[in-house]
Amino acid sequence: MDPQHIRNFSIIAHIDHGKSTLADRLLGLTGTVAARDMEAHSQVLDAMELEQERGVTIKASAVQMHWQAPDGEEYELNLIDTPGHVDFGYEVSRALAACEGAVLVVDATQGIEAQTLANLYLALEHDLEIIPVVNKIDLPTAQPEEIKLELAALLGGSLDEVVLVSAKEGTNVEAVLRAIVARVPPPSVPTGTDTPLRALIFDSHYDSYKGVIAYVRLQEGEVDGQTPLLMMATGTKTLPVEVGVFAPEMKPVRVLSGGEVGYVATGLKSVREARVGDTITSARNPAVQPLVGYQPAKPMVFASFYPAEADDFADLRDALEKLQLNDAALTFEPESSEALQFGFRCGFLGLFHMVIAQERLEREYAQDLIITAPSVAYELLLVNGEVREIHRPSDLPEPTLTVEVREPWMEVQVITPNDYLGAVMEIFRRKRGELLLTETLDTKRVLLTFEVPLAEMVVDLHDKLKSATRGYASMDYTFDGYRADDLVKVDILITGTPVDALALIVHRDLAYERGSALIRKMKEAIPRQLFEVPIQAAVGGKIVARVNVKALRKDVLSKCYGGDVSRKRKLLEKQKAGKKRMKMLGNVVIPQEAFLAALRLD
Amino acid sequence: MRRALYIHIPFCLRRCTYCDFNTYVGLLPLRAAYVEALEREAVLWAERSPELQVATLYFGGGTPSLLSPDSVARLVNVARVRFALPADAEVTLEANPGTVAEQQLRALRQAGVNRLSLGVQSSHREELALLGRIHSWAEAVSAVAAARRAGFANLSLDLIFGLPGQSLSRWMETMERVLELEPEHLSLYALKLEPDTPLARRVAAGELPAPDPDLAADMYARAGELLQDAGFWQYEISNWARGRAPAPEIWAVPPAGQSEQISAWVAQHNLIYWRNTSWLGWGAGAYSWFQGRRWSNPAHPRAYIAAVKSGELQRVAEECIPSALEMGETLMMGLRLAEGVTTHRFRARFGLELSTQYGDALSHFVKLGLLSWDAERLRLTRAGRLLGNQVFAAFLP
Repeated sequence: MDPQHIRNFSIIAHIDHGKSTLADRLLGLTGTVAARDMEAHSQVLDAMELEQERGVTIKASAVQMHWQAPDGEEYELNLIDTPGHVDFGYEVSRALAACEGAVLVVDATQGIEAQTLANLYLALEHDLEIIPVVNKIDLPTAQPEEIKLELAALLGGSLDEVVLVSAKEGTNVEAVLRAIVARVPPPSVPTGTDTPLRALIFDSHYDSYKGVIAYVRLQEGEVDGQTPLLMMATGTKTLPVEVGVFAPEMKPVRVLSGGEVGYVATGLKSVREARVGDTITSARNPAVQPLVGYQPAKPMVFASFYPAEADDFADLRDALEKLQLNDAALTFEPESSEALQFGFRCGFLGLFHMVIAQERLEREYAQDLIITAPSVAYELLLVNGEVREIHRPSDLPEPTLTVEVREPWMEVQVITPNDYLGAVMEIFRRKRGELLLTETLDTKRVLLTFEVPLAEMVVDLHDKLKSATRGYASMDYTFDGYRADDLVKVDILITGTPVDALALIVHRDLAYERGSALIRKMKEAIPRQLFEVPIQAAVGGKIVARVNVKALRKDVLSKCYGGDVSRKRKLLEKQKAGKKRMKMLGNVVIPQEAFLAALRLD
Repeated sequence: MRRALYIHIPFCLRRCTYCDFNTYVGLLPLRAAYVEALEREAVLWAERSPELQVATLYFGGGTPSLLSPDSVARLVNVARVRFALPADAEVTLEANPGTVAEQQLRALRQAGVNRLSLGVQSSHREELALLGRIHSWAEAVSAVAAARRAGFANLSLDLIFGLPGQSLSRWMETMERVLELEPEHLSLYALKLEPDTPLARRVAAGELPAPDPDLAADMYARAGELLQDAGFWQYEISNWARGRAPAPEIWAVPPAGQSEQISAWVAQHNLIYWRNTSWLGWGAGAYSWFQGRRWSNPAHPRAYIAAVKSGELQRVAEECIPSALEMGETLMMGLRLAEGVTTHRFRARFGLELSTQYGDALSHFVKLGLLSWDAERLRLTRAGRLLGNQVFAAFLP
């Protein structure tokens, strides 16, 4: 395809503003997906079961469409979908690097939200042409003209550039295609026939037959299924299985050329050999310089995943390895804990990423998991001058060995109706947040910029914000930097033994409050045993709070006659099986829920 | 082998709020057809096992006192004629104090019933109302008097404790009042909230406080002390019989093989359950444990009647109990008894030693103070009585 007739673009939006519905419409309008298939399978791009259920896009995907524009010319339109959640901002950035334009969708009933801004700024960083679209104009509460003004003001453009659509009803969607063709610049491809291939891998997934499928944007040159390829960063050479495009399912083509978007089925067995961000070139006629790649995403939220049954450790490792093939940002390393035995310390981009990983492990890989409370990556300045990063609270050394303990801080932008301003401020105050900026967005809403420690965010900030504002506030966040503070380790002791998996790092001012809240939760979660079980919270080795789980006094069925034998026996068998799934700490039996108690701290 | 015969009577005038038994309200018109079906089931059994003999007979429910004395007489007679039930055998009938008149009791005594088990439950009006009982305390008192006049020498009373909101003193008041009735036998049951019962739903909805298990443990202990002083022997986790055990402590152990002679008032029928010997269950949803298999009849009275009529009484939830499981069940049931599980009975039955079979679990629970174990027998300790489930589970395969 002549690069002049190629348009590469993304759709960016705040969650639920209708990005996937618009994408579906574009696929239908261009005949990429037949209308009747659309009915059966709405939100074509969201292939994963989880994506469809949660209504969010988790992984970027790329679809090729062909459309005959009013000028009579046929265009190849490559829609590169972006994840809709802030944890995946890094993946958004990757997808945007493969585009020249972005369709910015805003809900006509909601207006600009926190992620609208965050995604817009990312797109502008990549010098993309922005096509503003106001969606859901069919809804009775829609205020298209007001939102149009907001958008024009935000982008500094003219009102005429804003396209008003109802993706659900199919109203005016073609205007979006026209705007893409007219305004998104074609890819710039150097002329000359023997330019060596350079293709940027912006995403990948693993296919058990074709190996790693690299999603590529060709900068220049050509790739076909016959020529050996070289991964420039890793030096891996491979003969690809095939090349193709997503239409939207994988469709092999003979050749992909400069400016195009598609896939290379590499045949490689590990994503480590064909990393996202690497440049693919020809092994016979290699390029000299790779394209500018990406910094690998750095996980900052950590939690331990343990198999519910110790025997399933190897299964969990296999499942994590497979998941990692499709989730480059996930990290994991084996660890052991006295209570939970053998498991993995996993790193995530954020809490949502963690929840998605957990659900995928449970559903797609049938793993039964115990997950510890999430923590963050801390940076330590030791007395010997060394700087060390730790990924679990129990690794925090004695206070005498550290000069500074630093934690990641985030810059958080919140858009909230004025009515909830006080509630939002209070939530952030309790989370050690600092208000940097208050901006008036319109007559009803303000944009607040806070700084807040990530550790305070990971527990329940998003839920708290949503419930305090009845769902009206939206937020987005970016990493701001590490800051030293008076951070201490809170140990939780059960019958006098510290339980690694329950240790916390918190600000000294909150240590007592958090420690006692956690042990109260533990008391609820630990069943009474045949003896009294003391649970203590200690700060720096000093006990600050204690509760006791009283000894069990009564556990017997008082009625048991001839007709009860089977039922009674089955009850005991169930009790016994339940106990088997619990964890032993010394002679104390601890159910899995106890480890989740820290997740639900109020 | 002493084998028990249980006959289930699944009719009630009203369902109690805590009850999850196989019982039905509004099916009284089925009574005649049901009794007929019971007689047919007897024939089916007799045809299959002509030599079968039973040692005890128990009418449970439901509310067996809703049967006419004549029906009861016919069924007792079937047991005597076809299954060699001895003339002096224990024949128990459960009765609701709200459904018995003296004349009826006389007729039941005449029919061969020699032990009455009365569901008294409480002596307090508000507690009886909470439980959804159809009778008052005064009716319970007069039912006992009527039973005595009708010639019943063996009376057992059921009581429930640990009710939502029940205080220790309220419970002990009931205990004191019940002792004045001078029963031969008492069953004290801690309330268990069964799923989907009105009482459980009210507790779940927060209308009623959840029963406090520690308070129930206190009630149990106090009642046990009172009964010991009143001359009762606790021979099972929830059962007491008038008469002294030879050793002075509450959880007394009679000499080996003599427990039947210690107190004439021990429930002979139930003893067969707890020794896990063998029983036949007739009627809707009744369980049988016979020749290594356990099963139940169809649960609904109509289904049961229809099945019997067809001449083929299909077995519901039939289980073949392999030896290892039978051992576990024998311990689960046997450890409920004061006599425990005797080493000689276990050896005679399974050809194995308790010590080789369960050595590790035994020493674990002995160390925890829940089991006592000597050459003669294995039994729960005083502390172990209320924690039986913790122990029993360990013996199940």
